[in-house]
Amino acid sequence: MARIEVKSEITGTVWQLKAKPGDKVEGGDILIIIESMKMEIPVITEDGGTVKEILVKEKDPVAEGQVVAILEE
Amino acid sequence: MSWQPEIDELHRRRTLAEACGGPEAVAKHHAQGKLTVRERIGRLADAGSFREVGKLAGKAKYDASGQLTGFEPAPYVMGIAHIGGRPVAIGGEDYTIRAGTGFGSDRRKGGQGGFIEDLAFEYRIPLVNLIDGTGGTVNTAKRKGYTVVPGYGQDGVERSVDLLGIVPVVSAVMGTTAGGPSMRAILSHWSIMVKGSGQIFAAGPPVVERAFGEKLHKDELGGTAVAVDTAGTIDNVAENEQDCFDQIRRFLSYMPQNVWELPPVVNGGDPVDRCEDALASIVPRSNRQAYNMKKLVGMIVDRDSLFEIQPTFGRAIITALARMNGKVVGIIASNPMVGGIMDFKAARKQGHFTELCDMFNIPIILFADIPGLMVGRESEADAILREGVRARYIALQSRVPMFSVIVRKCYGVAGGGFIDRGGLNFKIAWPSAEWGSLPVEGGVKAAYRKEIESASDPATREREIEVELKQLASPFRTAEAFAVEDVIDPRETRPYLCQFIDSLQGRLASQLGPKLRAGVRP
Repeated sequence: MARIEVKSEITGTVWQLKAKPGDKVEGGDILIIIESMKMEIPVITEDGGTVKEILVKEKDPVAEGQVVAILEE
Repeated sequence: MSWQPEIDELHRRRTLAEACGGPEAVAKHHAQGKLTVRERIGRLADAGSFREVGKLAGKAKYDASGQLTGFEPAPYVMGIAHIGGRPVAIGGEDYTIRAGTGFGSDRRKGGQGGFIEDLAFEYRIPLVNLIDGTGGTVNTAKRKGYTVVPGYGQDGVERSVDLLGIVPVVSAVMGTTAGGPSMRAILSHWSIMVKGSGQIFAAGPPVVERAFGEKLHKDELGGTAVAVDTAGTIDNVAENEQDCFDQIRRFLSYMPQNVWELPPVVNGGDPVDRCEDALASIVPRSNRQAYNMKKLVGMIVDRDSLFEIQPTFGRAIITALARMNGKVVGIIASNPMVGGIMDFKAARKQGHFTELCDMFNIPIILFADIPGLMVGRESEADAILREGVRARYIALQSRVPMFSVIVRKCYGVAGGGFIDRGGLNFKIAWPSAEWGSLPVEGGVKAAYRKEIESASDPATREREIEVELKQLASPFRTAEAFAVEDVIDPRETRPYLCQFIDSLQGRLASQLGPKLRAGVRP
């Protein structure tokens, strides 16, 4: 079973979690929304799979390139 | 009397050159996932098209009777080949021969500004350099008996500078690169680095350790994460050597052979009147929400024609080559997925890409959703204002037609850089567009401070002024005044732009040739 790391594109703060462990997701789905520079920037998965872990919670600061979720294919 | 003995000798010498640095060195090189330079050229060029020049150059040893007893080929391999059916000058170091270091003091065989650069210059054909060498060595001093001032004799950089105004130059960093070859990598229109095997730096880890006591792996100092993603010294990343060759072929497919020709028209059969319904809803109604600009642009240009330049550096701006009804265009688009605010890296990237398009007569389409320049202490220390203004200066010096598609925000100094002020000043807006000196939300308090402060309920007064100004900000009001040339249905963007791009081809043909620029860049 392939492990997929999903990263934040941008530095900011976690605004909303849109997925939780166990959820089935498809490529293009939004997992998390980061607030940065007054914009809502979605963290989108390129691959489909099952959400294994969400590594952040709301209001957490995140850095560009930080792994924020783990999926299993 | 036949010349067969000499012809046999010639073939024997060619075979010796093809052995590169010997079977052991070649096996070691292959084990690292790397090809020798002739194998690289063989994969990159059209099959069977490579004709090598100077295969006999090298260091020979003879016995007392004048018989050849040993031969070390010159490390730089070069010649002429075809890519996509068109001729190119091509060369590269063979790392298996003395780690691709220089060939004595003779620059003409492989040094910067040598035969291959002259060939590209004289024939007006693109130059491709597959770099896998580290330049000069201190051994040269021992052999010569004295050291040389940089640029001794024929320097070579002057020819590279000539080339940048005349023919497309492509560099691939395929190994560890420093010194002269690293200049060659940067003196190009487009460069690429192979992940894991390519590094570039002013000086490698041993020099850094001696200077600062810091122990670094060569990848930490000059691998793709530093040289491409962070510094933008090199433009694109290749996952492996084959990917590198594919991307070089792709880049050159958008380029003319030289500045006296137009880029080739390649029509893939995508209908001009293809109007994607998804464009009507891709921009969220809330201007706080991001959307995928690459997907948006991909729906407008010819199918599968988008090739991104510098995709990992200065990501607030997307720069890409693409086709519209078969004609090559440059794309500059804001990237709301990373906020879209222009930082100094994005500004530098936009300026460089504009210059590339201008040099090769490629019209530019700008997709604007730009809230402004990046503010703050860090950004000011990065010279955001100077970099932002420089990008505008370059755009205003350009002579290729530009089209602005205002998708959403277009504000301030950075927004102005998305408009062809030096040309037709042709702007089309989507209904989601908004523009001005700065967003209403940010500007009301500053512009109406006295009025707000003297009101009985300042907060309410501020909101009232905001609503009033927002009504005036409708793109239709600007269109009534012809202060924006058109507001269009987003779905019409492709047919609309294709028709204008088809129509300006004669203009492009009227301005072929080298471009001279006057003035001092800010």
